Order: sequence, then structure tokens, then C-alpha cells
Amino acid sequence: MTRPLLQSKLNIPLPRPALVPRPRLVARLTEGLHRKLTLISAPAGFGKSTLLSAWLRAEARAVAWLSLDAQDSDPTRFLNYLIAALQQVDETLGAGAVGLLQSTPAPPVEAIIARLLNDLATRQRPLILVLDDYHLVESPAIDAGLAFLLAHLPPQRHLVISSRADPSLPLARLRARDQLTELRAADLRFTPDEAAAFLKQETALTITPEQVGALEQRTEGWIAGLQLAALALRGQSDVDNFLDSFTGSHRFVLDYLMEEVLGQQSDSVQSFLQRTAPLDRLCGPLCDAVLAADPGTGQTMLEALDRANLFLVPLDNERRWYRYHHLFAELLRQRSRASNDGDVTALHHRASQWYEDNGMPLEAFQHAAAAHDVARAARLIEGDGLPLYFRGEAAPVRAWLAALTPHDFQANPALRVMYASVLTMTGHLRGDIEAILQAAEAALSDKPDDARTADLFGQIAAIRAMLAVPKNQVDEIISQSERALRDLHPDNAPMRTTTSWTLGYAYQVQGNYAAASQAYAETIAQSQRSGNLMTEIAATTCLGQIQELENQPHQAAQSYRRILDLVGDPPWPAACEASVGLGRLHYQWNDLAAAERFGVQGLALAQQLENVDTPAACGVLLSRVYLAQGDTDRAGAALTEAERFVRDSGFDQWRPEITALRLRLLLHQQNLVAAIRWAEGHDLPLSQARIHLAQGAPAAALAALASVPQQPAAQNGADTRLRHLLLQALAHQAAEAPEAAARTIDEALAMAAPAGLLRPFLDEGDGMAALLRDAAGRGVTPDFVQRLLAAFGDRPPPNGSAPPLLDPLSARERDVLALLTTDLTGPEIAREMMVSLNTVRTHTKNIYSKLGVNSRRAAVRRAAELALV
Amino acid sequence: MTDEQQPEILEIRLKGQLDQRWAAWFEGMEITPTPEGDTCLSGPVADQAALHGLLKKVRDLGIPLLSVSRAATTESQERP
Repeated sequence: MTRPLLQSKLNIPLPRPALVPRPRLVARLTEGLHRKLTLISAPAGFGKSTLLSAWLRAEARAVAWLSLDAQDSDPTRFLNYLIAALQQVDETLGAGAVGLLQSTPAPPVEAIIARLLNDLATRQRPLILVLDDYHLVESPAIDAGLAFLLAHLPPQRHLVISSRADPSLPLARLRARDQLTELRAADLRFTPDEAAAFLKQETALTITPEQVGALEQRTEGWIAGLQLAALALRGQSDVDNFLDSFTGSHRFVLDYLMEEVLGQQSDSVQSFLQRTAPLDRLCGPLCDAVLAADPGTGQTMLEALDRANLFLVPLDNERRWYRYHHLFAELLRQRSRASNDGDVTALHHRASQWYEDNGMPLEAFQHAAAAHDVARAARLIEGDGLPLYFRGEAAPVRAWLAALTPHDFQANPALRVMYASVLTMTGHLRGDIEAILQAAEAALSDKPDDARTADLFGQIAAIRAMLAVPKNQVDEIISQSERALRDLHPDNAPMRTTTSWTLGYAYQVQGNYAAASQAYAETIAQSQRSGNLMTEIAATTCLGQIQELENQPHQAAQSYRRILDLVGDPPWPAACEASVGLGRLHYQWNDLAAAERFGVQGLALAQQLENVDTPAACGVLLSRVYLAQGDTDRAGAALTEAERFVRDSGFDQWRPEITALRLRLLLHQQNLVAAIRWAEGHDLPLSQARIHLAQGAPAAALAALASVPQQPAAQNGADTRLRHLLLQALAHQAAEAPEAAARTIDEALAMAAPAGLLRPFLDEGDGMAALLRDAAGRGVTPDFVQRLLAAFGDRPPPNGSAPPLLDPLSARERDVLALLTTDLTGPEIAREMMVSLNTVRTHTKNIYSKLGVNSRRAAVRRAAELALV
Repeated sequence: MTDEQQPEILEIRLKGQLDQRWAAWFEGMEITPTPEGDTCLSGPVADQAALHGLLKKVRDLGIPLLSVSRAATTESQERP
């Protein structure tokens, strides 16, 4: 953590000393602990937090409490606080997740949650995690993360959410599975007995049951209303008179009572309340600073308000930090808005100063923003070295910048660079970023030529390099990256790290692997220094891929394994490329079981990410593995899946490889006609050569192979070069040119033996075995050739069992299929699955078509044959 | 949703009577008491996001929400 956490967010608020006991609700809460989630969902002022704090302070289990605020909509900040809350209970929880959170861009929420779940599962102690005021968090990413948390929550761990609005979680499913306890407004409102007890305790007046009834009816059991009514009653001599005016009025309950209560306060109290209302949190020294009062005044006033129960909520045991009750604060702010605006601005200004002096830069920034002091806010964002948006606070900074006027930007060109940087860093790649950069450049042209201006120009170049990456504009990436590395301040570590990555990427695309490896090594070293795991993983992945292409499979495996070590277990999605890379390497080494395992894992990880082409890589790998195992059906299904993915996602660079593999599959099935048709219109020399060989035309095969550009050699990876040589050798052999065949196969063996690449030989079948027997006779790389010949001997026979489905059922379709085997009717299945009848019908139709049946009974029978249910 | 960019005029009914000084809080909305003793907020609402923002303000004040409806804008829709 680079920013201090507000400890007060992690404390269970103190319940007020005199509290109406609510045993019926406490019993329901305690009973609900055996379910996964407790949801307390009710409008403001229904005593949600009070009930929770009263219950949890008496509860024996360990409690991790987090009071949320609107800033927690930033997933990184939310997760930091979530971990901090858990660490209040057990400080070893989330240690690994904290490391991941340091990275920019931040890893996906679910990756962190997966880490936390892993930690939680290994601890024995039961735990209750409370998220108070969840309605303030507006982030689909966090909602999805919590849904993931709930789905995998270990037993004896319980989540409690209090909110003014139902959260976007799968509540219906949880309800149906009896995993949810709900307390809603109707449950929380005071019963007449509770209202009577409350009023008696709060007012010390004699109030008749009729009077209680009138109040209870007027406020509808709404606790905030009753609380205000009790406060208003304190100053009344004639209860009936008050009740008459109250009951007779149509005015909004709160509005009415608020005036009553405030009217009873002294001028100094009213003024204090109104002037401090804009503060989200209050402590004595902050109030002193904001009101320019003598030291100690604020603390005295806060304690007095606390004693008088004037809607002040203590946030810690020391009674240092407080906040106003939310509703009360809204009302006070509404009143102060109507008064003097200049006062409010000055107040925010002083609050900003106080927070800065006390080392809380985010709060300082937010008050500067509220005071419309752009220069100050900008300075606070920049901090001293590491800007706020590199410290997990990108969302509030982006929102602030987005709301600035052109005039603000004109006054400070650095703001434009900052805006472009935040947009790029947070993945908001929009078309107008270049326009922002050009405006910044124009504004910077007449600035002094100092280190600060140079750094801004460096940032502009770095952003341009990043923007050119998705467009594959290699020359642009290289020239901008080089410029950025020249101009960026030596201490601008985040930008420098990112830039050396973009540079490496460009060299890689160019095929300049030496330069790329060097840039990646630099990126990795810098990431390690600054603890930026995401960049380290990205650069190590690229390095591994280059090592694969350069025929250094052992080094590549080392790189990939290091990534899996870095991300730990369970791995998180960013490791998907490393996983499929290891799968490819094990495939080459003919360890098909390991190749399949890594391919399946890579696919599962990649499916959690958006906009990555890894699923195609995994599909191709798995299809190869199944083909090598002789299971053409599964190989075809995996390839079809990859084809569908490429069609839907538009990752067209995968088309040639998928087409080539489809062709090999057809040749494997002896379907030469289809293979020829398939190859038409594709520029795939290796595939053409295969077809010519299958047709018994080795000269044509050699001609096709000769058309492959050999320069620069590095453009083709080791695998392609090796397969090219092997096909050439086979063609020479078929053309009855044994010397040429021997020369070529020896070259291939020299390349493959040190790297242990078995599979390219094995994939070529019996003709290759003959060539290898000759090579054994000549004594070329004898150990390796022996291994190859041994591997040829124990090739598994083709799969002879019933053909599995060409187009496998989806997980959801399998769920439906399982229910189809029961007695449930369609509508009952829909209810069971929490979906509409139409959805069930769609699934059923798909299942029938995939199983090749047209009735429910036939589907059930076919499913049993295929052991699908 | 309207086809054009014109903001829709909406009516939001709230339980209880709300003082006029809340007009600033509900920026640009007109606050009128109804004969039943409730409050009608009416005014232009730019889009769905604006509507949800408005409803959040209502929620955060704890004012019970009775209904949200489109205001009648053409003569034929007006009540006799």
C-alpha cells in the first residue's frame, strides 16, 4: 500500500449506549450465519448499521468490517480496503493479493478475490465479512467479483451486505438455494412496542399508548423519523400539541422534524453543524482547521454533539473520528447550499490543506477538487514522483479530469497529458486521445526547456507508443518509445517501465528478437524494482514466446514457469499465455498428457479475460494433442471451437494456422478431396506440399516448399522451420533423391536434438520413421534418433469407441440435459434453473440438434449412450 | 424512450409535502404539492442516466417514492 488507509473505515461503528434491544432481528441474523449471504436492504434511516454493530459486537465470531464510500467504486481501492478489513482479523490474510494490487494496470478483480478465497479456505477460524453501505459502490467489476466470492465462499465464512438498494448479485439464485438471509424495510421498522420503548427511553416523558401510536403511524416505523421526533419532543412541554401539529401536517416527515430539532439548538451549534456538513468525516483538528477555530474547539463540540445524540456516528473507539448520520448530513448540506457558497469553497480549501499536511493525498485532492482549485488538485494528483493514478486511485482522477473545462486545460497543459495518460493507463482507449496530445504539444511549445517540460514531452511520446500497439504500427512504436525513453525523467518509473515494454513489443513484431529480448529484460528488471507484477508478467510472457520462436524451448519453459510461480495457485487469468506456452512445449517434447493439462488450464484462464486471442492458441494446441492421440473427433471438435472463437472475436491472424490444422486433420482421415478443396484460396505452402505429397507429386511439393521465403529466417519460428525441413526431406525421399533427403533430415535433427523436439517428427507418420531408421544407420544424433524411433513404436492406436459429439454440449446445455432426464416439465425446469421457458426451449433445441435426436426420450437415451448424464 | 434527443418531461410523485427550498437539491425540477398531500416533482429528464441519478437523490433522502410517469404533453392525452 502506498497510501495510508483510513482506519476508521475498518472499525465496527459504536452502537449508541442506550439502544432499544431488537432480539427478534438479532436472532434472525444469528440464524442466518449458516447461509452464505445476509442482505440488509432498506432505505436510509432504517437503522441498518446500528443493528449490525449491535449484533456483531455481541457475536463471538471474528468480524471484518468495511464501511464503504463512493470512492470505493474504484476496484483497486475497494480491494485494498477489503484486504485491510480481513487483515484486522488475521494479518496473514491477503498477503499475496496485496502484492498483485501494486501492479498497473491492476489485475482483474476476480484474480485478487481468487487469491483471497484461497487464503480464507486455508484458515480454520470462522469469519464474518461485513460490507456496510454497499449502495455507494457503483462498479460492475466489483459486483462481479463479489458474485465470484459468494460462489466460492468456503464454509464457516459469511458475507453481510447492507445497502439502500439491492446489489447486482445473483440474489434470486441464492434465495432459491436457501443461501440468503434478507432483512428489509418491513423487518427493520420499529414495531409499536419498540417505538414505545424507544420514545420512553429517549424523551423521559410520559407518553400514552395513543400518542405512541400516532407517532408510529406518522413515521411508519421509520427509525430516523422516530429519532428526530424524540429529539423534537425533548423541547416540548405539551406532547399532544406537538403531535397535533405533526399529524395534521402533510409536510415530509423528515423535513418537518429537522426544522423542529435544529430550531432548538443554540446558534453556535447550528452554525457548526451547517459549516462542517460538507465533510465526509470529522475529527477535532480537522474541524478546527476548517473553521479556523482555536485548537480543541472542534473536539469539544463533537463530544457535545455525541452526548446529545445529534446524529453523530463515532468511527473509532477513541472517539477521534466521526461522521454525521447520512440522512442528517444530506439535510444539513441542503441547508448550507442555500446559504453562502463562498464559505463552502473556502471550507473545502482548508480541509484540503489539512489532509495534505496530515499525509492523506487522496482526500486532499478531493477537497481541492470540491473547492474548484484546479492547480492545487493537479499538484496533489502528481504527488512527489508517483501520481495518484498509479497508486490505485485512477477512477476519481479520471472523473475529475473528464469534468474540467477547456479553459482549465488551457491554463495548464500538463493536465492534458495527465488526462491522456489516465485514459490510456486505465484502458479507455478512445479516438480523441491523439487530439488531446496534440493540444498539449501546442501548449507546451512555448514553455521553458527544462526537465519538467521534457518529461511531459516524454509522456506524450510514451502514450503515442502505447496507442500504436493495438494498431501494430511498428515504426511509430519504436520512434515514439525511443523518444520517450530519452525525454522521460529518470524517476518516472511507471512510464519508463511501460515504454520499454512497448519497445520490446515492436521489435518482436519486426522479428528483431535480440533487440526485443533486451527490451523485455529491461522491462522485467524495472518491474521487479517497482514491484509491478502485471508488467513483469506481460514482459516475461513475451520473452518466453521469443525463446520458443528461437528454438530455446528450455529457456522458454523457464520463463513460463516463473510466471506461474509469480501468480501462485490458483493461477489468475494473466497467466493464460504462460500456461498455453508450456502446453506447446510439452507437446513438442511429446508429453501429451501435460500438454493437454496446460492447454485446458490456459483455456479456462483465458475465458475469464476479454479481448485476448489465447482461446485460439489453446484450441489449436488441444486439437493437435487429440490428433496426436489418434482421437480425430475430439481434435475436430476443439478445432471447430477455435474456428468459432476466431470468427466471433475477429482475431484473423489465427486463420492460417487453423486452416492448416484442419487440412492435416482431413488428410489424417484420408479425405484428400475435401483437403484439396479446403486448401484452395489459401496461401499455405506447407499445407500445399502435404497435399502434393499425398497425391504422390513430390516435385510439386518441393516447388511449393521452395516458395517459402527463407529470409529473414527469424520471421518463421523454430517449429515452422523444422516442419519445413521435414516436409522437404519427405519430398526428396518420395522423389527418390536419398542423398538430398539424408542431408535435409540431418539438418533437421541437428536443430531438434538439443531442444528435444520430438513431436514434429512423429506428426509426419511412417515415411518419417523410415527416414529416421536411415539416419540411425548413419549414426546421426544417435540418442535422439533412438528416442524418436522408440516413440514411433508405442504410438497409441486410433480411438475405436463410439464417436463422441462433434459439437460438445455447453455447461448450461448439460445442466438442462440433466433436468431433461427427470420428471420435471418444461416450466418446472425453467423455474429450477431460474430462467425463462423460452431459454429452456432454446437450450433443448440445441441439445436435440447436437445429439441428432428430435424427442426428449431419444435425447435421454442418446445422452446415456454417450455417458453425458 | 423518445426517438428524438428531446428530454422527456417526467412526473415523480413522492409521499408527503416537500418544501420549495428543495428545488435546488432536485436541480431544475418543479416541486408542486398535490391535493392528496403528496408532492409532484416534474421537469425535463435528459436520459435514463439522469433519471436514475434523480431517483438516487430521492432514495438518499429517504423520501418514499410513489410513482414515476411521463407527463402528458399533447392535448389528446390531457385529462378532460
